[in-house]
Amino acid sequence: MVALPYLLPYLPELTLLVATFVVFLLDVAGEHRRTTLGGVSAFFLIVAFVEVLADLGTWPFHALSTLPASWNGTAQGPILFTSLGIVFQGIFLAIAALVAIASLSEAEDPDGTPTFYALLLLASLGMLLVAISGDLILLLLAVEVTGISTYVLVGYTRKDRRALEAAMKFYIIGAFSTTISFFGASLVFGAYGTTSLLAFSQVPSDPSLALVGFAMIAVGLGFKVTLVPFHMWAVDVYDGAPAVVSAYLSAGSKKMGLFALFAIFVGAVRVFDTAGNGYALAIMMGGLAIATMTVGNVLALQQQTMKRMLAYSSISQAGYMLIGLAVNTTPSLSAATLQMVANVLMKGGAFVAVAAAAAIGVGPLITDWKGLGHRRPILSASFAIMLLSMAGIPLTLGFVGKFYLFFSAILAGGLFAILAIVGLLNSAISVFYYARILKHIYMPEETGSPDAHGGTRSLASSTLGSSTSPTDPQPSVAISEFRAMGYARMGVIVACAVLLIALGIYPTPIVTALNAAAHQFVALH
Amino acid sequence: MVLGLGGRFLGKASGWIAVAAEGLALLAGVWIALTEASASTVYHDRSFVWFSLPDGTNLVMGTLVSPLGALMLIVVNVVGFLVVLYSIEYMGHEEGLPRYYAELMLFLTAMNGVVLADNYVEFILFWELVGLCSYLLIGFFWKRPSAASAAKKAFLVTRVGDVMFFVGVFIFFTAFATQTVNPAFASSVSVYPGASCPGHLTPTWACSGFVFAPPNTDSNVPFLAASALSGAANQTLMTLGGIMILGGAAGKSAQFPLHTWLPDAMEGPTTVSALIHAATMVAAGVFLLAITSMYLGFTPDAALVILGIGGFTALFAGTMGLVANDIKRVIAYSTMSQLGYMTMAVGAASFLVVGPGAGMYHLFTHAFFKALLFLSAGSVIHALNTQDLFEMGGLLKAMPVTGYTMLIGALALSGVPPFSGFFSKDALLSLTWTAAQKDPVALPFFLMAATGVFLTALYTFRLWFLTFSGSKGRSEAAHHAHEPSWIMRAPLVTLAALSVVAGFFPLIGGFNHWLPGLSYGIFGFTQTSKGWVFAAADLELAIASLALAFAGIAVAFALWGNGRVFHLADDSVWKAPQKVLVRKYYFDEAYDGLAHGVILGAARVFDWVDRYVIDGTIHGFEQVFSMASLRARRAQTGLVSSYAMWIVFGLVLLLIFVLYGIPYLGTLWGG
Repeated sequence: MVALPYLLPYLPELTLLVATFVVFLLDVAGEHRRTTLGGVSAFFLIVAFVEVLADLGTWPFHALSTLPASWNGTAQGPILFTSLGIVFQGIFLAIAALVAIASLSEAEDPDGTPTFYALLLLASLGMLLVAISGDLILLLLAVEVTGISTYVLVGYTRKDRRALEAAMKFYIIGAFSTTISFFGASLVFGAYGTTSLLAFSQVPSDPSLALVGFAMIAVGLGFKVTLVPFHMWAVDVYDGAPAVVSAYLSAGSKKMGLFALFAIFVGAVRVFDTAGNGYALAIMMGGLAIATMTVGNVLALQQQTMKRMLAYSSISQAGYMLIGLAVNTTPSLSAATLQMVANVLMKGGAFVAVAAAAAIGVGPLITDWKGLGHRRPILSASFAIMLLSMAGIPLTLGFVGKFYLFFSAILAGGLFAILAIVGLLNSAISVFYYARILKHIYMPEETGSPDAHGGTRSLASSTLGSSTSPTDPQPSVAISEFRAMGYARMGVIVACAVLLIALGIYPTPIVTALNAAAHQFVALH
Repeated sequence: MVLGLGGRFLGKASGWIAVAAEGLALLAGVWIALTEASASTVYHDRSFVWFSLPDGTNLVMGTLVSPLGALMLIVVNVVGFLVVLYSIEYMGHEEGLPRYYAELMLFLTAMNGVVLADNYVEFILFWELVGLCSYLLIGFFWKRPSAASAAKKAFLVTRVGDVMFFVGVFIFFTAFATQTVNPAFASSVSVYPGASCPGHLTPTWACSGFVFAPPNTDSNVPFLAASALSGAANQTLMTLGGIMILGGAAGKSAQFPLHTWLPDAMEGPTTVSALIHAATMVAAGVFLLAITSMYLGFTPDAALVILGIGGFTALFAGTMGLVANDIKRVIAYSTMSQLGYMTMAVGAASFLVVGPGAGMYHLFTHAFFKALLFLSAGSVIHALNTQDLFEMGGLLKAMPVTGYTMLIGALALSGVPPFSGFFSKDALLSLTWTAAQKDPVALPFFLMAATGVFLTALYTFRLWFLTFSGSKGRSEAAHHAHEPSWIMRAPLVTLAALSVVAGFFPLIGGFNHWLPGLSYGIFGFTQTSKGWVFAAADLELAIASLALAFAGIAVAFALWGNGRVFHLADDSVWKAPQKVLVRKYYFDEAYDGLAHGVILGAARVFDWVDRYVIDGTIHGFEQVFSMASLRARRAQTGLVSSYAMWIVFGLVLLLIFVLYGIPYLGTLWGG
């Protein structure tokens, strides 16, 4: 029998594994209701999240930690626990829990429901493994565990043709990218003679072979992260997939890709960051970051449907985060991670809000949201906060993240300032398309809607971004709004918006924790 | 000390709570300012660490009560209090009042934050918040499409400035961080280093950005030793940074060429206009320049650009004010023009390396008479329900309080003694004159500003005569006009009194402490540390500017006084220039064209690539596949192949870079 102490550190992973079995067993037992399956999944995800918080030493859970202190930062075979990795585990579990809870408000779907929750749990398990991989092969395999689960997740309803088509595209391109990254991995192995991630901080015997390998891995993972020009699938898939799955892809699976990039490249970027090596990887990452930011933003300007706009803005956000890796310092990695935390709340929340709006019959076009601010003040105000956060307006976490990110590039000095300036210009462009949506939402409606009368009153309370609580005067309006769009879903949306503001005003603890984690990560690699 | 700030958040339930909260803030603000004036050291609290950087540098949300900040605290809260009080009646019949007061309070909070910020990071945070609130307030009448679009315009145009501001701050930071500043720098000025940044002689903006002149009211003593200036930071970088920061200030303070949002911002409630124009948003831009003027002292080129932009705007805005028929718009243009004077003065002060006191003094006096003008105009609009000057007239009899208080405001704005505007305008003109003598490049801008004095008097009195003079009104409503209640009259009278006495404040001992670098003078006699000094040049300057002001008033009287209405004849040669002015020099059209041309153009190019290049390849693939495969699968396969093709393209690009680019770069950088 395996000694228990050896398994205990993997408690979060084991929890998800057990959860997956439970969901499958319930399926076999004929239980297809969302409330049961989703409730069970959300419960296990939250348990795992608490365990991760415990491993991070977060009060008041620190006593529950099962991770020996000596394990954090030392490789255990192919496994490597790092504080940053555990932070990312928290990010992955948070978005998964958010999606699981929000999906409770979806319509009943006896065929798809068990598949959905089982795959959600499996995909999250894969992400958790990515976050503790200390070995290139394990890391890429774990990425594939998530990848295959998400391919199916996109088309899980089996009824929606567009979703099926999106799943098919996603699968084919995904398989193609995986091939490239595995080929790259074999070249990297050839250059280093090992697949340990910690070894990449040395100069290999054959630098150019290693660089070719790294470039191929960057392409394969760039697919997951939606870097330009490997981003093409993303818009079709985010648009075609159910909105909660899009939330999961944009806020979860993309962050997994970024962590994989961090784990592989943090050491390598530094090693090649010498004049003799032409600053190879820093330029590569910087170039990809600039292309991704700019193309994502400019194309977002033209979009007419809400989901496609969010997809393009999500692409540009990936570009901002990649600045963290190009600059490759402790502050920049910490800032990129902070930006990802913000992204879970604002992108995840925004896709859920789109799902909620669809549930009350709002069409896919941006113009379909016209006047929603007067009819659905809570949803609109929350969505407005998310958009403002994406645009980087102060008092939101999005501002803090973006600010810290650009600031870290400036701190690094030299040509990295270019990344900060391009980022600034891009975020100025992005204000245009976010402001356009806000304008539509808060524009008066041309035709009188049935509840236009009550709408004017509640508008007073729904000032976007002001200090007043968005849920002020009429409790009955609020309750009817929650009922119409689902309590679970609205709860998630409001929680995201509130957290964006709260952490935007007082980010101190989270930044301190991220700085420490990033410091350990950089020192290790 | 931050009690006043906290109190503001209460003000959402109703107007009176807002008044009480703002009153509390006013008391707190005045108390803080007075404490500052009597204290020997500067109150500086850096205990609240917002977040720490890994290298131990702390980003602090500190509180710094600097002399300039103390002055601004008074300005913001006095005007804020009176505006909130005035709103009770003025806005009484509008919908959505809680929203209005909540936004107003947040606006004032943000402005107080700007004033008390102790570093650029904090400054930017509150600065953005000010922008956001102005967006909300200008768009308060969201049902009017013009209000919504004006709000958006204000937000976007100032955003352009904000980006420049960020970049400028980054550049300054880089310029200072990479340069060893002469130790004389540290000893010759009061730098307020943060507790967390020991050993930073270099004033880095992350640490503690703001440097102020020592409490020295004598403009003849530069606050920066010449030795500190020589060979300090990288000149080119500093100049670039200075101009970028000017961009930020120009966006907020509506300076040329980012001025276009301000006249449109008149769509907001009049109270909001008063607040934006007198004490908050536009003042933030000048305040930014004033607190940055220390750094700008390093870069005379940027200082001259600031001086030039300011002088030009002072004239440029005045010309547009001449032809506006909307009472609020005329005042809006006058704001733009007066801000031009302030900007010019700060530029001149930076150029001469003296404290920014002259510009700040004008900001101080301007706050009172501009708020007064707006609130009087609001009172007229409230009574008549129109903003068109040509539907007014003869109102003096019906609305004496409004009429006479507005007259005081107009006299102060025109620069007639003993009203406050005269003293502050005189101080800044004399400063600019000194700068112009030092470098003739500044001379044309000085002349523009002087011409602006004439125009100011002309359009201000055109406004006043058209509104109040004559025996009877030009519209039905004007016949039935009546005074508002005391709630609206009280702020008017208070502001009028302040507009009169503010000109003499520098005579009170200690006031000048808040205005480093101000050389306060009356007809040639200048107050210095050695007593009063007479200079003939200053006297001539004062007389000249007074003459220009009276000329302006006289022309206005001749054309519009006593109920006369002057219109250009249809065949007049002045029709064409008038049209240019009415259309605001076609800036809106040009910017719209630019926005559509560049931004949408770029988007269209990308879209075109997306549609034709990519879709084109798809169609190509489609045709290939259609020969071999079933129709139903074609579209999908085609798309997927083209996506894969792009991935391969990216991979090839990266491989070329890795295999060929890097060895090349390696040799290039001598590896």
